[in-house]
Amino acid sequence: MLDRRNFLKLGGATAFAALFGGCDKIPKKIIPFVIPPENHTLGEALWYASECRQCPAGCGIVVRVSEGRAKKIEGNPLHPVNRGKLCARGQAALQSLYHPERLARPFALTGPRGSGRFREISWEEALSLLLGEMKKIRGKAPTPLLMLTEPMRGHRNLVAARFMRAFGSPDRVAWDPFGQDAFLAANEAVFGVRDVPEIDIARTRYLLSFSGDFLETWGSPVHYARAYGAMRQDRATVRGKFVHLGPRLSMTAASADLFLPIAPGTDGVAALGIAHVLVKEKLTAQAIGASALWNEGLKEFTPEVVAKKTGASPRVLAYVAREFAGNQPGLAMAGNGAAGCTNGTFNLACVALLNVLAGNAGMPGGLSFPNRVAAFTRYGAEAGLLAPPPESGYPAVRGAVGKMRSGGFRMALLSGSTNPAFTLPAALKFREALLAVPFIVSFASFLDETSFLSDLVLPVPTFLEDWGDDIAPAGHSGEAVTLSQPVVNAFHDTRSMADILLAAAKELGGEMRRALPWESFRECLEEAYRGTGKPWEDALREGGFFSLAPGPSRATARASGPALPKVAEASFEGEAAKYPLVFHVYPSTSHYDGRGANLPWLQELPDPVSTAVWRNWVEISPGTAKELGLSDGDGVIVASPSGSLEAFVSLHPGVAPGVAAMPLGQGHSHYGKDARDRGGNPFSILPAREESVARGPAWQSTRVSLTRAKIGGRLVRTAHPEGQWKIGNVM
Amino acid sequence: MLRPGPKATIVASLLVLLLFGASVAARARTSQPILYSHKVHVSSYKIDCRFCHTEATKSASAGIPSVEKCMICHRVIAVDHPEIKKIAQYWKEKKPIPWNRVTELPDHTYFPHKRMVNAGVPCLTCHPGIDKMDVAVQQREFTMGWCMDCHRKRGVSIDCWTCHV
Repeated sequence: MLDRRNFLKLGGATAFAALFGGCDKIPKKIIPFVIPPENHTLGEALWYASECRQCPAGCGIVVRVSEGRAKKIEGNPLHPVNRGKLCARGQAALQSLYHPERLARPFALTGPRGSGRFREISWEEALSLLLGEMKKIRGKAPTPLLMLTEPMRGHRNLVAARFMRAFGSPDRVAWDPFGQDAFLAANEAVFGVRDVPEIDIARTRYLLSFSGDFLETWGSPVHYARAYGAMRQDRATVRGKFVHLGPRLSMTAASADLFLPIAPGTDGVAALGIAHVLVKEKLTAQAIGASALWNEGLKEFTPEVVAKKTGASPRVLAYVAREFAGNQPGLAMAGNGAAGCTNGTFNLACVALLNVLAGNAGMPGGLSFPNRVAAFTRYGAEAGLLAPPPESGYPAVRGAVGKMRSGGFRMALLSGSTNPAFTLPAALKFREALLAVPFIVSFASFLDETSFLSDLVLPVPTFLEDWGDDIAPAGHSGEAVTLSQPVVNAFHDTRSMADILLAAAKELGGEMRRALPWESFRECLEEAYRGTGKPWEDALREGGFFSLAPGPSRATARASGPALPKVAEASFEGEAAKYPLVFHVYPSTSHYDGRGANLPWLQELPDPVSTAVWRNWVEISPGTAKELGLSDGDGVIVASPSGSLEAFVSLHPGVAPGVAAMPLGQGHSHYGKDARDRGGNPFSILPAREESVARGPAWQSTRVSLTRAKIGGRLVRTAHPEGQWKIGNVM
Repeated sequence: MLRPGPKATIVASLLVLLLFGASVAARARTSQPILYSHKVHVSSYKIDCRFCHTEATKSASAGIPSVEKCMICHRVIAVDHPEIKKIAQYWKEKKPIPWNRVTELPDHTYFPHKRMVNAGVPCLTCHPGIDKMDVAVQQREFTMGWCMDCHRKRGVSIDCWTCHV
């Protein structure tokens, strides 16, 4: 028999054996590749060239990949747009690749629209659903199919366009909230070319900027920022001077030698004031010959008259004009703040006029209009599809909303980072109109405000897992085609929109198959770039084709010289008595139009001016705050005639008096846990107004009131405004 | 009251150890997703280590062959063997084989395979008997003294930072 003592001894030995038998080695897995990448050495990183799609600029990137995992994104040093540089938004794209909320499977709606009740389905089921609905509406006249996407370029756009044409539907709409309609219209009026010019900041001696955040979000910010650095520091004897006029001291404005705060919407008038001095004092060769302009009405825009409208000092305006003329080549440019007013085209045309008077068109350090699709003459009329002008598509969106509401569409194909349910003004009632469409298909990586409303969600790869090509809208003289390739194998069971459209075309057969004869989008690309003189593999390795001969720059100056732009004043919705402040909105440096808001790296990136993180705020000048009885950090309700939202006040001495400024991009109701509940969405309180000539969205066209309110939480900033600005000493 | 003598205790303890040993052996056979035999590949068929462990001359890690590598031969060789069928299944599903780590060095040491292999140190110096094993186990404890002995004999750096970086 065992006694207690020995029982314990034996029991101890057994427990010991059990315990240590169980941990002779903690199993650690070694997971080798199924198929290793080519040229791969274990532990050594590979760099793959591709293209960033975090904004429409089209910067080239190289991605460091270790053991099949993307680790870091950098700028492609060979790429003409960004020459090795990359902004924070591009760097953060890595997080969208690994995002836990990414859509990994196709989803079909099971509950009512907007309930968010989806079930996972297989790709077979998803495609048969899609094709079933397509076959139902095929052949109806007019075809009730809508395609609403972000602006696409390159062969992705070609595939989408051919699909819709072969399907028989004219309703292909590309929506870009920061489209440059006014810029295009102004360039057409002044230079006779409806395109975005190449702006040679690097070689200019004097840069005049009107309400444009070209170092942050406007156009091709990395390209401009690099050129700006060169303008300041790259020349032995010249440090280019930079003067910024606008209603708000942005990061761009803060880089200027001289910042002139002007009232919103008066950029055009300010430019005419400068032009007035140029012509009156005959400061440039072009100004001497501009007597026609003078007689058309320029003579009335004396610095004194202009000063009254803009709020800038007449003496300083005249001084800037003389400096601008005395430092050739000088360059004038304008951005969203000027273009987004109801008189946007007038503002931009006046700024373009300054370039004409400076005589910089076609000169180094000035403007030029390269033909960016010169390499695609073999495409004939379709060449334009590869590099369409960067329009907003607002008139088409409005048309589509009307047609949706009246039941003109049976099916909608939605895609894109521009998220129309979030970025269109609430007054347009896009959401309600979309819900009138019986079948909505979204091509999406995340459930944002738009894809949330769909009946069928098809998961697409992120741009780091996708094929593509692109012709950037700025930053090269027509010689650059960027290629993008998957830098890693697809993480989830995703298919790109182009591949799905090709598969659908194959299934639908007939004319559609003839229009889109490729098995995959990759095949389409390889075929397109075969025989261009550079092997496909080499082009992929370098990130594209950057050495094609540049096409001839298009003629710029009109024969008779430009006419004086038709004077238009900016109008703002709401009475000044009820809504005392003019509302100035600008794309967020971190989130752009809102697409970056689901990435924690971008949420925690302090705004360069307010240093605020993770939330929205509204900026007013200390003087305005005093009048309204508000102080820094107060919770307020920002109300416009179209709606209201909650925000915290951030005092900013660089905001023009009587202006409330707010960044766009926050305020999501969906789009994941990091994007949700971060303040109100300023897009939602904007009126559904158009710019008067080019019909782009007029974001800068409403007045607001601020009322103190108790709101939860507080605004977190990484620096206190007192310490940063020393209010009272700055202005 | 009958008390078990010291003999009985020893016997009981040995029995327990025997059971323990048997369980370890049994676990070893099932320790890998596929019963891969180094003996068959190295001793019977004389395949060079670096045919599969391709990274040994190029990288810090010798590397585990990809499924594709296995299938180069096993598309045609021994396709009916139950273990090979498992590989074929991984290949068909395009899934990696989740091998369990056998040989391990502490995290605070840096050991680049390529330095040793390129200097002509035979694989069997550190992995003795692997060529005779049906189930790979780590035979050698990698103690610092053992490493240093060899480094001294070969006149290689014994600076701390050579291995502890």
